[in-house]
Amino acid sequence: QHKQISGVSSGCQQGGCLTCSDYNGCLSCKPRFFMHLERSGMKQIGVCMTSCPSGFYGTRSRERNTCTKCSPECDSCFNKKFCMRCRIGFYLHRGDCRNNCPEDMVRSDTQRECV
Amino acid sequence: CLWCFLRPGATGQGQSTPAVCSLSCSCDEDGGADCSGRGLTTVPSDLSAFTYYLDLSMNNITELPANVFKNFPYLEELRLAGNDLSFIHPEALSGLHQLKVLMLQNNQLKTVPSAALKNLHFLQSLRLDANHISTVPDDSFEDLQQLRHLWLDDNNLTEVPVGSLQHQTNLQALTLALNRILYIPDNAFANLTSLVVLHLHNNRITGIANNCFTGLENLETLDLNFNNLAVFPKAIEALPKLKELGFHSNDIASIPDGAFHNNPLLRTIHFYDNPLSFVGATAFQNLSDLHSLMLRGAGMMHDFPILTWTNNIESLTLSGTKISSVPAGLCDDLKLLRTLDLSYNEIKELPSLQGCIQLQEITFQHNQIQQVGREHFQGLTALRLLDLSRNEIQFIHNDAFFTLAALTNLDLSMNYLTTLPTTGLRALSQLKLSGNPQMKNVLTVSQLPKLRSISVPYAYQCCAFVGCDSGTSSCGESDIKRSADWVEEERISMIMHCSPSPGAFKPCEHLLGNWM
Repeated sequence: QHKQISGVSSGCQQGGCLTCSDYNGCLSCKPRFFMHLERSGMKQIGVCMTSCPSGFYGTRSRERNTCTKCSPECDSCFNKKFCMRCRIGFYLHRGDCRNNCPEDMVRSDTQRECV
Repeated sequence: CLWCFLRPGATGQGQSTPAVCSLSCSCDEDGGADCSGRGLTTVPSDLSAFTYYLDLSMNNITELPANVFKNFPYLEELRLAGNDLSFIHPEALSGLHQLKVLMLQNNQLKTVPSAALKNLHFLQSLRLDANHISTVPDDSFEDLQQLRHLWLDDNNLTEVPVGSLQHQTNLQALTLALNRILYIPDNAFANLTSLVVLHLHNNRITGIANNCFTGLENLETLDLNFNNLAVFPKAIEALPKLKELGFHSNDIASIPDGAFHNNPLLRTIHFYDNPLSFVGATAFQNLSDLHSLMLRGAGMMHDFPILTWTNNIESLTLSGTKISSVPAGLCDDLKLLRTLDLSYNEIKELPSLQGCIQLQEITFQHNQIQQVGREHFQGLTALRLLDLSRNEIQFIHNDAFFTLAALTNLDLSMNYLTTLPTTGLRALSQLKLSGNPQMKNVLTVSQLPKLRSISVPYAYQCCAFVGCDSGTSSCGESDIKRSADWVEEERISMIMHCSPSPGAFKPCEHLLGNWM
């Protein structure tokens, strides 16, 4: 059952929802919110957010705003090809997550960066 | 973790007292405080001074007064998205000496709060997207010398904020997408020597100055999609490191010769949905990292593009042009080619594709080809799909398909064929021959053991493939008995689909007498 959000109903506890269903959460988002599908057991729950969760980046367009996965070794990214924070074991250099740093740089484990 | 030792009351013997956390928030052991979506109208004051991550997004904090964060000297990430924030006091963020990430997206800001951003010397990421910003004061980011990522997309900017960007030598990623920018002037990004990513998509850009990208010597991604560019962006000549370029969905009519001569590292170029009519023959030369080239509808293009040293292309689509011939040495350069789509051109002769040994799909649909020789597809053992439909093919050499051991899908419909050589087509499962009016003979399928679907010029030719059931009056008892070999009949009946299928008005008997 699709609900136009006025008040908050049980299946749609978030402020960014435009339409939602108790079973699948948000079906569409208010303008400028990112739609993200979260797995919940066997189900997928629609969530409307102002910023995408860790491991995803937001793509804005005229029609809709979506969350897309970063590359596997990246925790937080600007787009598919430009990382901002790498996963443990990788080191960030100019948007790339690398195993090794360029010659004139060293690996910083705390910052996960080439410094 | 730092948070455990610095917290008040920590005894040092591994005993730790619970961190201070506001009732409006949930805190974790690492100094993170999540106060999002709680209907707050002000910043909670009862949080620990050692908080390093504070999420206040999706509340109702419409204003930030002075010194509201003065008790958070260790704060590194502050999230204030989705608060209808319209005013930030110049002293609101003072005291945040360690701040690295500031998220202000999805608010009601009309200008960049430049005074409030002063002294954030360690800030790396600043999100200002999805506000109503129409002005960016020149001193907005002056103090932010560590800034790497800046979001200004989905605002009301009508021009590139050139003044405010001129000191950002460490900036690596910038989006100005979804604004109302009309024109990009010369030297708009002159000092952004570290910039790697620049998004300008979904603006109203009608023109860009020839030197507008000067200074972007490290730019790798440039997105100009969904604008109103009428002329090819020649300014990309200033981008030697460019790998990814998009200018699809614009109004560009031609791509000049040597268009990408200064961008040797290009891997992807997206330019579909442009009213392209002409493409210079040397436009795509020397692009050894290019993997895919897709060009549709350049109706004034006559010459096949020169692809010397563009030798790593795996997918080539050139359709809807006036190209009438394909260079003989095409496969000397394109050894990695896997899909070739040269449909809807005016090609008269097939090229020899022998060297393209990795080819899996070829389509020459809708050209003017008249024959298929022995050498054209020789050695293409990986070929799965061959579409030669809508040509003028009258003759196919007996060994034309001899080596195509993997071919499963062959479309020869709408040609001038009389017969079909089947040697080599042992893997074929789908065969299209409809629209060859001269092909009236009975088709023997003994050499097509895997055939599952066939379309033929005449319904009566389907009688050999489709088992005659009682419902088809035209296929009587005698037709079945006439088949010599039960095993052959058993295999034929495995053919799932033959069209046009015989029926009451399309009998198995040939109109001029029995065809058996």
